[in-house]
Amino acid sequence: MKKASALLLAALLAMSALSGCASSGSSDVITIGVFEPLTGDNAAGGELEVAGIELANELYPEVLGKKVVLVKVDNKSDKAEAATAAARLVEQNKVQAIIGSWGSSLSMAAGNIVMDAKIPAVGASCTNPLVTLNNDYYFRVCFIDPFQGTVMANYATSKLGAKTAAIIQEVSNDYSVGLASFFEDSFTKTTGDASSIVEKGNYQTGDKDFTAILTNIKQKNPDVIFAPGNFTESALIIKQARQLGITTPFLGGDTWETPDFLSVGGAEVEGAVFSTFFDKAMVTTSEATKFLAEFEKKNPGVEPAAVTALGYDAYILILDAIKRANSTDGPAIRDALASTSGFQAVTGSTTLDANGDAVKDAVIKSVTGGKFTYLDYVKAQ
Amino acid sequence: MSKKTAFSIAAIGAILLLALVLNSVLDSYSKRVLNLCAIYAIIALSLNLVNGFTGMFSLGQAGFMAIGAYAVAIFTVPVELRAQGFYLEPMHPAIANIELPLIVALLLGGVLAGAFAFVIGFPVLRLRGDYLAIATLGFSEIIRIIFTNTQSITNGALGIKNVPSLSNMFFIYLAAIIVFVLMRLLLSSSFGRAFKAIREDEIVAEAMGINLFKHKIASFVISAFFAGIGGGLYGALLGTVDPKNFMFTLTYNFVLIIVLGGLGSMSGTVIASFIITIGMEWLRFFDDTLILFGTEIPIFRPGLRMVVFSILLMVIVLFFQKGLMGQKELSVDMVKGLVSRVKGLGKKRGDGK
Repeated sequence: MKKASALLLAALLAMSALSGCASSGSSDVITIGVFEPLTGDNAAGGELEVAGIELANELYPEVLGKKVVLVKVDNKSDKAEAATAAARLVEQNKVQAIIGSWGSSLSMAAGNIVMDAKIPAVGASCTNPLVTLNNDYYFRVCFIDPFQGTVMANYATSKLGAKTAAIIQEVSNDYSVGLASFFEDSFTKTTGDASSIVEKGNYQTGDKDFTAILTNIKQKNPDVIFAPGNFTESALIIKQARQLGITTPFLGGDTWETPDFLSVGGAEVEGAVFSTFFDKAMVTTSEATKFLAEFEKKNPGVEPAAVTALGYDAYILILDAIKRANSTDGPAIRDALASTSGFQAVTGSTTLDANGDAVKDAVIKSVTGGKFTYLDYVKAQ
Repeated sequence: MSKKTAFSIAAIGAILLLALVLNSVLDSYSKRVLNLCAIYAIIALSLNLVNGFTGMFSLGQAGFMAIGAYAVAIFTVPVELRAQGFYLEPMHPAIANIELPLIVALLLGGVLAGAFAFVIGFPVLRLRGDYLAIATLGFSEIIRIIFTNTQSITNGALGIKNVPSLSNMFFIYLAAIIVFVLMRLLLSSSFGRAFKAIREDEIVAEAMGINLFKHKIASFVISAFFAGIGGGLYGALLGTVDPKNFMFTLTYNFVLIIVLGGLGSMSGTVIASFIITIGMEWLRFFDDTLILFGTEIPIFRPGLRMVVFSILLMVIVLFFQKGLMGQKELSVDMVKGLVSRVKGLGKKRGDGK
């Protein structure tokens, strides 16, 4: 037993030494840190983003004549772990840039670290405005909650002719709260009527029964219901609303675009409308065509998720910034990133504003025939 | 002054000196890991006070941490940066202009957590065993849900950022040592010995004239106070807090630490905090791609370290059924005993040849 344990220990140590050699970067390699939840609650989202980043790395393995190496670290969907993982990328792996993370609060935990180390970070799908606020070194390729809320409010008033709306928000989810708040602002501004939001209901992640909220809404009889939030809960809300006899159209956000939304909601989610980043039917750049073809080659018959496309975009944006900066120096890459304008990404032409947030077009989709189908296209303001 | 006390003081001095030196030598990654060890030790110690020393099964630590962390986050963010963060609903005017130094905010967090524990202690501590665990778990979730819904105070689900970040090892280790010493003094006093008596047998303890409820609530409140301090340091170390941080699963980290270290051992708790925090980081090489003789070994991918970590924990639990230290404390005598045992082993082997 003792011999066996000693042997095991020796093997472990040897392995740690070996892996040390593998990851120590030399100067002719550019390392990009990938900082994602690969275990824990958010692992599914993290994996989707990593798939996009890896695909981009295969297609564009070099910049400035140097090989680009990805260093993936798992942040375990835990905030303290996320901060340590980011510090590890910066200090141990000496990365030139960081991509990530799925989940805004995990990205926020890395905020101070990248700022202190002057290593630029690009988030793929973290939509909370606080991520990039007051942080010169954090950028993102997705649009933020205010834009998405506004897009849906405009859609409701102009396309559906809605005069009144009800909001159901997932109060424990920063994304849902943000979207709902900006929808409300924009909707009341367009209708010019402060009381046009007739009802506002709150629920917690994991709730199963929404009849109380829905009964209240039914009495107020709004023209449209805006219910951004987690896909399972949202699908249940729509299902229960239809069972209560509410025929009002439902609007939501990009989180709905998952197969689970359709399987949980079934026939009842038919006609639900939401905004998202990307659709096959709305290919605006040559990069998107390339991405779709390559993704199809690797995963035949699988639809790429929007976050996969965003992960891909985060990678090619960093490469582009390194090329433009003609340097691998943190502050130089940062400056190049900050001046990004009209970058031809998979998810459309991307410009970064003063906060480091992407300004880009949104796609509106709906559920028809048990599938997500392209409906409309909204230009960035 | 006895030899023991002198040794303890020397050890404290040495740790603080080491923290001071390491603070200026180490890179920010190693510092962060070591700081996290000390903060986890504070929180695990507070949990051990209730679970290990008083024999009550409480799972409310995440909630008390949340109170401490939010006290620090709300009151230490510079006033001029607050409006930007609270963009959905402005911060409540009563607190919007109060900015406190970190130490005051930490103590405030501790006191608030203690006060909350005092209030819920009256109904909750009438329960025993599993029921107490469920009730404390419930209250910890209640705290989180309150923080999620008080948009104008805690910024709700969006969380608070721009908390001045704390990376000073000396400060964090000083806090950890103060907590450790206070708890040590408490547990060696007659008041603290009564906790252990309650743990061993409530009826006997009561027959010996110990006021059960008074001691239980004291233990619960003191534990919440330390957890509040630990939570405050945790928030300051991360520089941002949001309610999702403080899900009940966070408590399990500390349950793991105290079970591994030994229920009822303070030094065991500290050792386990270091082993678990550093171990998780050290095992990261399992997550890297490994290339042996030119071929990539497929199982070396992110997530493997969690598997290895679990196996190691199971091995430890199998060999040390009462945790690493049981109810014993690390002492000079113990180290001496260990050294002589190892020497003895060597001798035996030598004889065998």
